[in-house]
Amino acid sequence: MILDALKYLAYVLIFPGFLFCFLTGLLLAGIDRKLVARMQKRVGPPILQPFYDFFKLCGKKTIVPAAANKTVFLMAPLLGLASLVVLQLFIPVFRFQIAAFSNVADMIVILYLLLIPAVSIIMGGASTGSPYAGIGLSREMVTVLACELPLVLVLLSVGRYVGTAIGAKDGISFSLSQIVGYQLEGGSLITKASLIPAAIAFLLVIPGETGNHPFDAAEAETEICEGMLAEYSGAPLGVFKLSHAIKMLTMTSLFVMLFFGGVGAGVDNLVALIGLTGGAATAVTIILDILLMFLLCVVVTAVGISLVHAVTARLKIEQIFKYYWTVVSALALLSLVLVWYGL
Amino acid sequence: MFKKLIAESTGKSPWLFHINAGSCNGCDIELVSVLTPRYDAERLGFKLTGSPRHADIVVVTGPVTEQSLNRVLRSIEQVPDPKCIVTMGSCPQSGNVFRGSYSVAGPLSKYVHVDVDVAGCTPKPEAVIDGLYLATQILAQKRKEMKK
Repeated sequence: MILDALKYLAYVLIFPGFLFCFLTGLLLAGIDRKLVARMQKRVGPPILQPFYDFFKLCGKKTIVPAAANKTVFLMAPLLGLASLVVLQLFIPVFRFQIAAFSNVADMIVILYLLLIPAVSIIMGGASTGSPYAGIGLSREMVTVLACELPLVLVLLSVGRYVGTAIGAKDGISFSLSQIVGYQLEGGSLITKASLIPAAIAFLLVIPGETGNHPFDAAEAETEICEGMLAEYSGAPLGVFKLSHAIKMLTMTSLFVMLFFGGVGAGVDNLVALIGLTGGAATAVTIILDILLMFLLCVVVTAVGISLVHAVTARLKIEQIFKYYWTVVSALALLSLVLVWYGL
Repeated sequence: MFKKLIAESTGKSPWLFHINAGSCNGCDIELVSVLTPRYDAERLGFKLTGSPRHADIVVVTGPVTEQSLNRVLRSIEQVPDPKCIVTMGSCPQSGNVFRGSYSVAGPLSKYVHVDVDVAGCTPKPEAVIDGLYLATQILAQKRKEMKK
């Protein structure tokens, strides 16, 4: 009993919980900044720059505006961070999945948990009463709404595809562990022709969900002083920046698990080749799986976030909404129709 | 360990807030050029922020006119400690050619403690980077003193 409790504490605090999210999330953000810099022919900041930013912000004084609701102002960043760490617990790392979470959790839970960071940043911004935050939060709400439709359509088509393939009860499966399990047997979903439009649509949803260029109208720092973050300073600001980095990790690892889930099967052969057996083999497999996932996350970040950042300028909020509900939704819908007719 | 990390990081992640106190726009353009691919101050961690609450270093350009004085001082007060104030160009340092004008309230050092002066009309980007780098070291020093 106590051992179980300790085990879950380790899951939440170390891997795949807080510590793992903290290190890989900030590292991913650093790699993203470096990549964007290299694409613009700059030297760019060191890869550890987000770590420096975070720790520096922890060492700064925190100013709470006189007009703000102090409790909401200080608790909102923690709420967003906590929900992202919980979300990361639900995403399997190829074969590594926490049974207690993976068996009950599915993509519907992930959809709900993905909303909480956006809600927390809206709450925090609204509590300050700053006009910049007011503009920012109205834009953030529109962005969240715009991203939601294509995201749901993508998840539906993936669920339907896997559901029919494994013969689930209603012909649709929302379980992430089943989706990854199917891919380990039947190959990655990115190789299935009918799901390629969905993969592209998901790739386009990633910068919108994380609030990166060109879909960052809500946090436009040159225009509305980072919107909802305008009044934040010190450690709470650092936690928001950390949440942003972890959200990049969450979205990219979700993409990797949904569409590249079959790649992890190759690790088995490698471990067998070295001639490891038993406990050592399991440990090595998990470590290799984590490295592989992180590598794929970096690739998805490079294509889905950095490249898009380097080549585009910021869109207006109505353009973002229009873009997601026409182009991206159409791609996802195409996939859904193809999958529904069994292609 | 946490304190050590903070001390280590303070000088490596300086975020700039730029105030135009009646500048002719020459220095403002030159400050932006520091962030372009040619000089790329981001390799030292510099980043322009939109809100004074996010900033570590305040860069003031212009001779501090009567109209802008109150706004400059209020903006500087909103920057959380530890902070550094850098004046860019000769105007906020001495008034430059506007010295003695009825509408100029400067120099800035009459009102707040200025940490680094980068002189010139306008200073070269190399000089600006040098001044800002000096400011990051003062920033790290200030953080150390703040803890005591």
